[in-house]
Amino acid sequence: MTPAKKLLSYSYYPGCSLHASAKEYDESTRGLFKALGIGLKEVPDWLCCGATPAHNVDELLSLSLCAKNLSLAEGVEGDLAVACAACFSRLKVTQHHLADNETKRKQVEYAIAGAVNLQKPVKHLLEILAKDFGLDRLTEAVQKPLSGLKVACYYGCLLTRPPEVPELDCVEAPTIMERVIGAVGAETVRWSHRMECCGANFTLSRPGVVLKLSGSILDSAKAAGADCLMVACPLCHGNLDIRQKEIEEATGERFGMPVFYMTQLLALAVGVAPGKLGFDSMIVNPLPLLKEKGLV
Amino acid sequence: MSRIGVFVCHCGENIARTVDVEKVAAEAARLPGVAYATDYKYMCSDPGQNLLKNAVAEHRLDGIVVAACSPRMHEKTFRNAAKSAGLNPFLCEMANIREHCSWVHEDRDEATAKASDIVAMMVARVKKDKRLVPITVPVTKRALVIGGGIAGIQAALDIADAGHQVVLVEREPSIGGHMAQLSETFPTLDCSQCIMTPKMVDAANHPNITLHTYSEIESVDGYIGNFQITVRKKARSVIEEKCTGCGVCSAKCPQKKIPNAFDKNLGTRPAIYVPFPQAVPNTPVIDRANCTWFKTGKCGVCQKVCGPGAIDYEQEDRLIVEPVGAIVVATGFELYSITEKPKGSPIKGYGEFGHGTIPDVIDGLTFERLASASGPTGGKILRPSDGREPKQVVFVQCVGSRAREKGISYCSKICCMYTAKHTMLYKHKVHDGQAYVFFMDARTPGKSYDEFWRRAIEEEEAVYIRGMVSRLYQKGDKIVVMGSDVHVGVQVEIEADLVVLATAVQPRAGADTLAQKLGISYDSYHFYSEAHAKLKPVECATAGIYLAGACQGPKDIPDTVSQASAAAAKVMTLFAKDELEREPIVAKVNEKNCVACLYCKKVCPYGAVEEKEIRDRQGNLIRVVAYVNPGVCGGCGTCQASCPSKSVELDGYTDEQIMAMIEAL
Repeated sequence: MTPAKKLLSYSYYPGCSLHASAKEYDESTRGLFKALGIGLKEVPDWLCCGATPAHNVDELLSLSLCAKNLSLAEGVEGDLAVACAACFSRLKVTQHHLADNETKRKQVEYAIAGAVNLQKPVKHLLEILAKDFGLDRLTEAVQKPLSGLKVACYYGCLLTRPPEVPELDCVEAPTIMERVIGAVGAETVRWSHRMECCGANFTLSRPGVVLKLSGSILDSAKAAGADCLMVACPLCHGNLDIRQKEIEEATGERFGMPVFYMTQLLALAVGVAPGKLGFDSMIVNPLPLLKEKGLV
Repeated sequence: MSRIGVFVCHCGENIARTVDVEKVAAEAARLPGVAYATDYKYMCSDPGQNLLKNAVAEHRLDGIVVAACSPRMHEKTFRNAAKSAGLNPFLCEMANIREHCSWVHEDRDEATAKASDIVAMMVARVKKDKRLVPITVPVTKRALVIGGGIAGIQAALDIADAGHQVVLVEREPSIGGHMAQLSETFPTLDCSQCIMTPKMVDAANHPNITLHTYSEIESVDGYIGNFQITVRKKARSVIEEKCTGCGVCSAKCPQKKIPNAFDKNLGTRPAIYVPFPQAVPNTPVIDRANCTWFKTGKCGVCQKVCGPGAIDYEQEDRLIVEPVGAIVVATGFELYSITEKPKGSPIKGYGEFGHGTIPDVIDGLTFERLASASGPTGGKILRPSDGREPKQVVFVQCVGSRAREKGISYCSKICCMYTAKHTMLYKHKVHDGQAYVFFMDARTPGKSYDEFWRRAIEEEEAVYIRGMVSRLYQKGDKIVVMGSDVHVGVQVEIEADLVVLATAVQPRAGADTLAQKLGISYDSYHFYSEAHAKLKPVECATAGIYLAGACQGPKDIPDTVSQASAAAAKVMTLFAKDELEREPIVAKVNEKNCVACLYCKKVCPYGAVEEKEIRDRQGNLIRVVAYVNPGVCGGCGTCQASCPSKSVELDGYTDEQIMAMIEAL
């Protein structure tokens, strides 16, 4: 007799992007978890994590925003699932900083007018899939293997950083994305720019920087023979997808490289209908590639 | 009534800054049994010692307390002074008001009160001190040297030249160590092999040196002057006495493709091999893990072709016991590797440099093999990946060193100089090539060192870029080096053909295990600790054991040779006497009370406790008691703490003395 499979259930913090520019990340996350039978319950009344701007301007504000979210999450059962790399990093950093700093903790408690609670494990979707759910079970759930699809896994800056915070994977040479997408049959390429910065917020103030940095990421992925990029961060997605045409104009090189959220590809593999994965909101149209590989 | 003298030292400002020394002396003078108390700026100086000696005569003192630094620092000094004043030296005690008080406190009143308490305790102890006589032990005038690199060879030759027997133990099949692997040496660019190999031959041929290669230290027993060393001579599968070193076995061995560790795996060797042609001894060893005979039971070619019949497949490890009086530890270093480290390890690897997966990213020692005339490329600088001559070479300093976030905060000391040397060797061999160096600081203290570094820049045209490298990655057949130039304030990207990393100098793997066998201390990185950073740089805190070379800390060749000769001189000093005086702070058993439970024997870390039979005049056994061998006892007091019947006590630390000290508080 095989032991009964544990029913997994999580509280869920989508973050601002997943309700706006990265809707397809949210939709595909929900679709994927439903297909895998993993419970996902959104934290009511959550607020912005502060992202990059808050902690650059006011550390107390940044810590307080996350602490408030963590205390709201206490009301929902299950470890806290986070999709966005920036939200994930900020929540983890807050837990780490407040755990051993009594003074800051008191300030934050005053600011949010409530107790700081740091006990709830904050987990990125990758961690949930690779460790809690398990790669073997993920492989079992596959209905449409992504075989033949060459994926360049792009981590960006925040998924494994800062290094002093308990890490998702090795800071400088992680493999968790490759392991997860490899479990549903995709082929991953070895490439050099997995951890490079995409230019992030400079997309508004100095787009030239983004064109250069994101351009070299696309260039390197193409040189490695990738069909597409896979990301876990809405800001990276914006720079690599929305700005791709501008980059092509600036460099004179044609990439035509679709940029997927990890959950879009995973959901597709476990049989979620392509129409529910937000492919139509991507700027670089992924459908020709997916058709070519027989995936839609 | 006792007549104790108390001498309170200012230690310049070290004590007087935090402790009111005059008040401590005044309070001490009021203690019962104290006949005289005073303070002085430097008690350890000549006038300070004279003050003590005169006071002994003038005030007829019968005990002394010097309130100053740690007894580890100056107990010997003041006991000698007491002795020359006609007092038994063991009636002189130190009250440590520096390390235990002034250095660790800030509040002057509290520190002064604590200093007075410490003095009062020591006065109480001195009152109950007994006159002790030093123990003498014989000295075995033979030395053990562990490690056959330049440090070990130099120490062994010096001791042997002084006329003493030396046992030299080397883990590898040949002596020579890292120096035999180097190409040219800074700052004179003389060939390393040319200056090293004659010394190797001298060591092997010296009538006073017994050489055990391919051997390791199995265990160490005994104490200064009287160590018993067990050496494990690993099975060579070749009978050393019969082998003539003709080399036919290696030439005929069908296994040819085993990576040669001596060449940093760039070249290959057979399964029966000497690590390099100039090896000493020139006796091969069979690498059993890779030998066809040992793997399948077939082959046996070497045995068939060996004229003198020196091949012995049945050979087993042998254990040899060597009695020695002193030990020189010279186990050297190894280079840090950027590969992934186990999770949780305090030392981290370099994922941003590819964790060692990029073939043309090599370390400094690999570059030495490439540049060496006896190396796998015959001295040509060629890339490991495709054998092409690199036209752009980037050298990166401080990889692993001075990088707290990677787990090592110390400077490896030799890299600035050897990297400058590498740029020169490269330029001499590839005239149209360009060398770049990323560096944090150029640290070149040493005779003719800074001139050497300047020469690399000014005459050999190496481009030095001050800044760190953030990432290395393969792009086509190039390696992209991303770094910063902090002088100009820009980011730099160089497409290099070859990258050479000056990786940190670390102690040999297993340095901690050996230290535990020897009973010597080591730091958190496993470098061996000297007894005093400035005044006892080659002695260990454990008597009779000395340090030489990079096992104690990163060192270049001149420093290593100096330290090795210094260690040898210390051994010769020890061997200059036939008998050795030991401190009589040893445990003694009260045989009347001892019930021979022998719990002391179980807890003694030195193995000093024996069973003693007490017999009557007719020779009938009356009973058994414990006996502590004073020559072996280390004076730790563990037996005293554990004895249920209070029958064993350490001289100078009796229960009565400890209780008196507590009562004085």
